[in-house]
Amino acid sequence: MNTFRWWRGILLAFFLLAIIRVFLPLPFSNEIIIFSIYVMGCSFLLGRVGFISFGQPAYLATGAYATAFYLFYFGANPFIGILIGVVAGLVMSLIVGPLFVRLRSDYFALVNLALAVIFYYTMQKVLAPITQGDNGLWFLANMTSTPIIDITRPKEFFTFAFLAALAIWALFKYLNDTLYGACALASKVNEDKVQFLGYSNFKIRFFGFIVANVTTAFAGSLYAIYLGFVSPEITSAHRCADPVVVTILGGVGTLYGPLVGAIAFTGMKDLIAGLIGNWELFIGFLLVFIMLAGEKGIWGSLEPQLKKVFSGKRV
Amino acid sequence: MDTQLLASGVIFGLSIGSIYFLMAIGLSLCFGLMRIISLDQLFYYAVGAYITYTISVYSGSVWLGALGGMIVAAVCAFAVERFIFLRIYERDIAFTMITSFGILIGGVGIIKAIWGLAPRPVLMPIMTQWTILGTEVPVYRLIVILIAALVYGLIWVFLNKTIIGKAIRAGIESVEHVEGLGINVYRLFTITFIIAGTLSGLAGGLHAPLIMVDPNMGLEVMPFIFMVVIIGGLGSIKGTLISALIVGQVFSIGALIYAPLAQMAPFAIMLLILLIKPTGLYGSKLLKR
Repeated sequence: MNTFRWWRGILLAFFLLAIIRVFLPLPFSNEIIIFSIYVMGCSFLLGRVGFISFGQPAYLATGAYATAFYLFYFGANPFIGILIGVVAGLVMSLIVGPLFVRLRSDYFALVNLALAVIFYYTMQKVLAPITQGDNGLWFLANMTSTPIIDITRPKEFFTFAFLAALAIWALFKYLNDTLYGACALASKVNEDKVQFLGYSNFKIRFFGFIVANVTTAFAGSLYAIYLGFVSPEITSAHRCADPVVVTILGGVGTLYGPLVGAIAFTGMKDLIAGLIGNWELFIGFLLVFIMLAGEKGIWGSLEPQLKKVFSGKRV
Repeated sequence: MDTQLLASGVIFGLSIGSIYFLMAIGLSLCFGLMRIISLDQLFYYAVGAYITYTISVYSGSVWLGALGGMIVAAVCAFAVERFIFLRIYERDIAFTMITSFGILIGGVGIIKAIWGLAPRPVLMPIMTQWTILGTEVPVYRLIVILIAALVYGLIWVFLNKTIIGKAIRAGIESVEHVEGLGINVYRLFTITFIIAGTLSGLAGGLHAPLIMVDPNMGLEVMPFIFMVVIIGGLGSIKGTLISALIVGQVFSIGALIYAPLAQMAPFAIMLLILLIKPTGLYGSKLLKR
């Protein structure tokens, strides 16, 4: 019974997602799935560890480019490409993590932004002979079909991404329930007291940083495989705040916030861009409104209402 | 490298640094006094540039345009401060950062709605060139440098000689004590915010003839402005000036040495400085309020 209750929320959410897939076109569903994995990392970082990062595209690009390099120059198996992308994300966060997590939250945001910009120019200009600059690496034709689940085809890619997202959600739900999750939340609220209790703030934050950014790198690999090409555009400064915006939109630190936020953000972007062609105006003011209205976001405001409805009998 | 290239590189760097300084000073003051990170300064910058474009098209004078840009930017800043920032001064820094980013994105949307997506050119008001150390230097860039120096002087006089400026400086040290003296700190906040917005508008107006004016110009310049503020240390005027000069020079001389390096080198320097001194060159110990 306990296990069932633990899984119930996740399964329900993903059941709804599977229904969405039936009604909405495939590219949209794929976009939502990848985007929500991407945002999950940022949400964990912001909601649990207390770091706001404007540089998530840097880690996204790490994963995407590692995958792209492998598939363009060396091999053809997309799964190995994903593996290499994840390992690259791990290596990247192991290198920059110890330097970055020492900084305070606002400096952390801006240093990450700087990292994303450095990454952008490295990929666009400095490494242009390898990355082909703004043209990007095209490797859709290089990938071979894989035996059990052929992720080079969008339909089966969705199945794979769906399962992966489910696994990542379970991981984050598990993390939130463990002692580590409690420590991370505590170090966000009051670092002195955490230190007093004998935990190391540095270790807590470093681990959170690694988990979040490896997730982000994984989302990057998925993007690379789904689109079949990678260009420096994915780390440009225009898109730096997207994950933060979606995190806030969905609700900071909530488990389903990233999913709800990703659906809302992608949906609004498509819908409003189709209607009036000016989605920044809408997103911007919605963001300000959400912040002024108590920064709970869409899911954060819905959750108490839903709980009231579903547990109405017991109360 | 010969002296001619070097001289024009230094002038170019100084003029870029001046524009960065004009924008960064507003951010720095806002952080120092109100403890907010106001990303919407980049919106006032774009507004300043666009108003300059419009007025210069109709009247033919960029200087008049820059003046109009300053005024409109100041009005925008005042409205935003009244309606949004007044409610969120008490919140933590990350909160103000996200909210002001929302304003910035919304502002980009407004600009796109009014002026459209296409980049617009603004004519250079003074086409003459002077010969300095055997190289041709556009006079306009020299004037930009002069204006920035003038603004620094005025800000210095304002902060050190007038009573409001002294109150602002005291507020940077401790807002509670200023409030305890019976000074209305919210009025100080409003004044500081308007000054910041005006200077950002001026920076936009002066920058417009040097680049193309397009809706995303604020977002494009954002990383560089932040770099200037961070290298200098949040809240310090002197640090902002020095870091703007450093960044401008690294930007232009880096481009002379190896072109792809130009945009990257300042960020590498920022990472280095932050790792050695996490509060920037002149940053104070940054107490949380």
